Amino acid sequence: MALSLSNFLYSSLLLLLPFGLMADAATVTFDWNVTWVRANPDGKFERPTMGINNQWPLPLLNITKGDNVIININNQLGNQSTSFHFHGLFMNGTTEMDGPVGATQCGIPPGSSFTYNFTIDQPGTYWYHAHQRGRYPDGLRGPLLVNDLESPYLGQYDEEVLLTLSDWYHDEMPELIAKFISVANPTGAEPVPNSALINDTQNVTVSVQPGRTYLFRMVNMGAFASQYFWIEGHTMTIVEVDGVYTEPAEASMIYLTAAQRYSFLLTTKNEISSNFAFVASMDHDLFDKVPEGLNSNTTGWLVYDSNVERPTPALLDAFDAFDDFNLVPQDGQKLLTNVDYVMTLDMKMDNLGDGANYAFFNDVTYVRPKVPTLYTALSTGASATDVTIYGGNTNAFVLAKDEVIEIVLNNDDPGKHPFHLHGHNFQAVLRSDEDTGFYDPVNHTAFPAVPMRRDTVWVKPNGHIVLRFTSDNPGVWLFHCHIEWHVNSGLVATIIEAPLEMQKTISIPSDHWQVCRDSQTPYAGNAAGNTVDLLDLTGENKSPAPLPAGFTAKGIVALVFSIISALLGMVVISWYGVAPIGTSELQSAEKRIAEAGTEVK
Amino acid sequence: MVNVFSVPVFFICFRESLETSIIVSVLLAFLKQTLGPEREPRVYKRLVRQVWWGIIIGIAISLCVGCGMIGAFYGLGKNHFSGTEDIWEGTFGLLAALIITAMGAALLRVSKLQDKWRVKLAQALEAKDNKKRSAGDRFKRWAEKYAMFLLPFITVLREGLEAVVFIGGVGLATPASAFPLAVMCGIGAGCLVGYLVYRGGNVAKLQLFLIISTCFLYLVAAGLFSKAVWFLENNTWNHVVGGDAAETGAGPGSYDIRQSVWHINFGSPLLNGGGGWGVFNSILGWQNSATYGSVLAYNLYWVAVICGFLAMRYNEAKGHWPLMKPKAKRISESDAASDTSSQQGEVIAETYEPKKVSTDFDAARSSARQLDA
Repeated sequence: MALSLSNFLYSSLLLLLPFGLMADAATVTFDWNVTWVRANPDGKFERPTMGINNQWPLPLLNITKGDNVIININNQLGNQSTSFHFHGLFMNGTTEMDGPVGATQCGIPPGSSFTYNFTIDQPGTYWYHAHQRGRYPDGLRGPLLVNDLESPYLGQYDEEVLLTLSDWYHDEMPELIAKFISVANPTGAEPVPNSALINDTQNVTVSVQPGRTYLFRMVNMGAFASQYFWIEGHTMTIVEVDGVYTEPAEASMIYLTAAQRYSFLLTTKNEISSNFAFVASMDHDLFDKVPEGLNSNTTGWLVYDSNVERPTPALLDAFDAFDDFNLVPQDGQKLLTNVDYVMTLDMKMDNLGDGANYAFFNDVTYVRPKVPTLYTALSTGASATDVTIYGGNTNAFVLAKDEVIEIVLNNDDPGKHPFHLHGHNFQAVLRSDEDTGFYDPVNHTAFPAVPMRRDTVWVKPNGHIVLRFTSDNPGVWLFHCHIEWHVNSGLVATIIEAPLEMQKTISIPSDHWQVCRDSQTPYAGNAAGNTVDLLDLTGENKSPAPLPAGFTAKGIVALVFSIISALLGMVVISWYGVAPIGTSELQSAEKRIAEAGTEVK
Repeated sequence: MVNVFSVPVFFICFRESLETSIIVSVLLAFLKQTLGPEREPRVYKRLVRQVWWGIIIGIAISLCVGCGMIGAFYGLGKNHFSGTEDIWEGTFGLLAALIITAMGAALLRVSKLQDKWRVKLAQALEAKDNKKRSAGDRFKRWAEKYAMFLLPFITVLREGLEAVVFIGGVGLATPASAFPLAVMCGIGAGCLVGYLVYRGGNVAKLQLFLIISTCFLYLVAAGLFSKAVWFLENNTWNHVVGGDAAETGAGPGSYDIRQSVWHINFGSPLLNGGGGWGVFNSILGWQNSATYGSVLAYNLYWVAVICGFLAMRYNEAKGHWPLMKPKAKRISESDAASDTSSQQGEVIAETYEPKKVSTDFDAARSSARQLDA
């Protein structure tokens, strides 16, 4: 089976990751045809899956820091457009290569080609995935590792192991999204995955040797489920989080939301008498209802000796995962102070006039603009600093260059949400406990002196988070929940960072314009595609109208009619009751009695 | 306070007992005024006993079913009943609305008779059934004879089951100690209102009392009819949503926007007894979320009632139904909406033929057509 073969290649490739073999920055080129393949990673259901060059799982991108990466995409899906986002990469100076459709590019329609060309200057663990409505859970997601020849942990480990986590659906996204955003799903219950995967399969084995140290790189490439991860009998020493080296931190269990990454060092035992299970367990808190028969746990094994049995993992009473706020970046970057601008995002879930459930920032649910936001920023001259031209449904924020930005996110929803910022990592300066409500800038727990930095952080139910970063990366960057369902239901904000600077430095390759033409997407003017009057947004993409509140005209008419008919009815009853009895009525009573009389005796 | 007295439980018991006790008191007051212990004690006693038996049997059945349901809920951990709750609410509601409608008109008409006629009519109800009658006619007679049992029975059964289901739902989050006082107070308050109605009914002039109480009964029936439609629609919506929509509260998602005429996010009668809104719902059929179906049902019900009473009055005055030609002389036709007594009275007085008497309204009408022809 192709699957197991590719998995085998996957692991062997990883274990042989070369160190120090390359010196100078190189250009690495990939030609990717995006194609449909069939896959059955959980052994329960074979389904059409989006693959690359007729293969799935997708290839590991193994890049060395400093390399220039060129990926030539040809969309051969035939029925769906797509795009690629390289999650966690800053794309400094190349915002047009970031990937989200509607923000930095047009979707690549079937038959079209598109080239991503960028240089990677960050080390660590990343991943890539399609960034268009529901594409990546259908298969288009894979790991991206950036080797660092100057890693502070170089020499402290002998080998690298990659473990990807993912949830997996048997149904295809277009159908699931239609059910999710529907009048029949007013609570916005997210479809629950059918399975969980490790390295896009199950029952993974990792051969280890005693007395050695391994660098485990972990990515949660899932669409929805957060996962707890632990290894029986071993401790993990976290050294990297979302591409940021940290001071070593010991953990017995880690928690990875969708899109989060960790690297940890693991030193194996000295004896080879037994093997050890490791488990990834999907967090049920995210699921409205756990379907019967769902196996949330995926097990793998550290195999010291392949002749020894692989133990069943022990059941846990509770999940007690490492709190990532305890991590300290290894570079010691201090808390950003003197905040220049605060982006407050109050998020909630609510229903709109079509009866379906949507997600909102500040009462606005994101709808993709007609013109990708980057193209609006580049084609509108001095008006590009006016936030209104980016449309009424994009949650747009225009940031000036080189300022300290604070994002305050208030979660007015009883769910956990992993938030991701494109183009930056941020200092995670505060995460409140559950049910603490909105952030109070006057009264809060002290911020850490050296806050953890990462690019995806989760907020607790009905709590808040505070994040800070410097606006030193001109571009269009999305800030969104990384639960793919919530991206589809609009939990997205658009940051337009230093638009005038962008106009000077960014130039769009012609193939990017071509996919817009191929897909008949306008690529100039304001969010509505108006190039003349930039403040005229007539015809822009809008969300459905809000639900009518209380009594509308039709409700009042109905109520008044009901009252009138009741009153009229009672008048008629009274009128009838007062009227004297008619002769026929009397006769019928007489008859009834007479009849009974003859019958009784 | 919360541990000894559950306000939701109070409101549930109050509203459920209120409707029952009003209907029962109207019936009892009616019996007392028309027959009274002194006028026709035998029939009076029998009919009063019917009312009480209706209540007792209704309570007994709803308690048994309710205990079974709650037992099943705790025993099997699954609310088997909730899936069909809306269906029986709707069905029972329709049934109760029809019975109240039929009886309301009948009571009002009886009140117009003179005392002696009423007593005789009551005695006539006692008469043994004629075996030669048609099955349909015999059922009518039977329903007439036991109407005083049927109405309280159906009402109590419906209200009792509803109370058990609602309390079962609330009860999961309420300490057991909060129940007894709340249940007793709720039922007590409901009975008190009923008792006041009964006393008022005994004091007032019969016709006035019956006009007021009939208006009231029809308000209840209109509400029931509308609620029945609402429940059946809600059942459909629950199937669409795949669960009990009311669990989402009173806000978005608890109703089908496509059917909505109005919706306000408070005053849902389904949540925690609904408080005052629950009473409003119970008596007048209020919904915080009105649908096309429920609004149309309410208005069409009243249109039907208005037409019915107008037609009855027309028939009483003119001796024939509107839109139909008068019958040949000496054959007068009485109304049909009420019952069986639509006969050719004058004919009977002279040439009494048992077989012919058994014709019901439709037969009479067809004979009228024949005569017309």
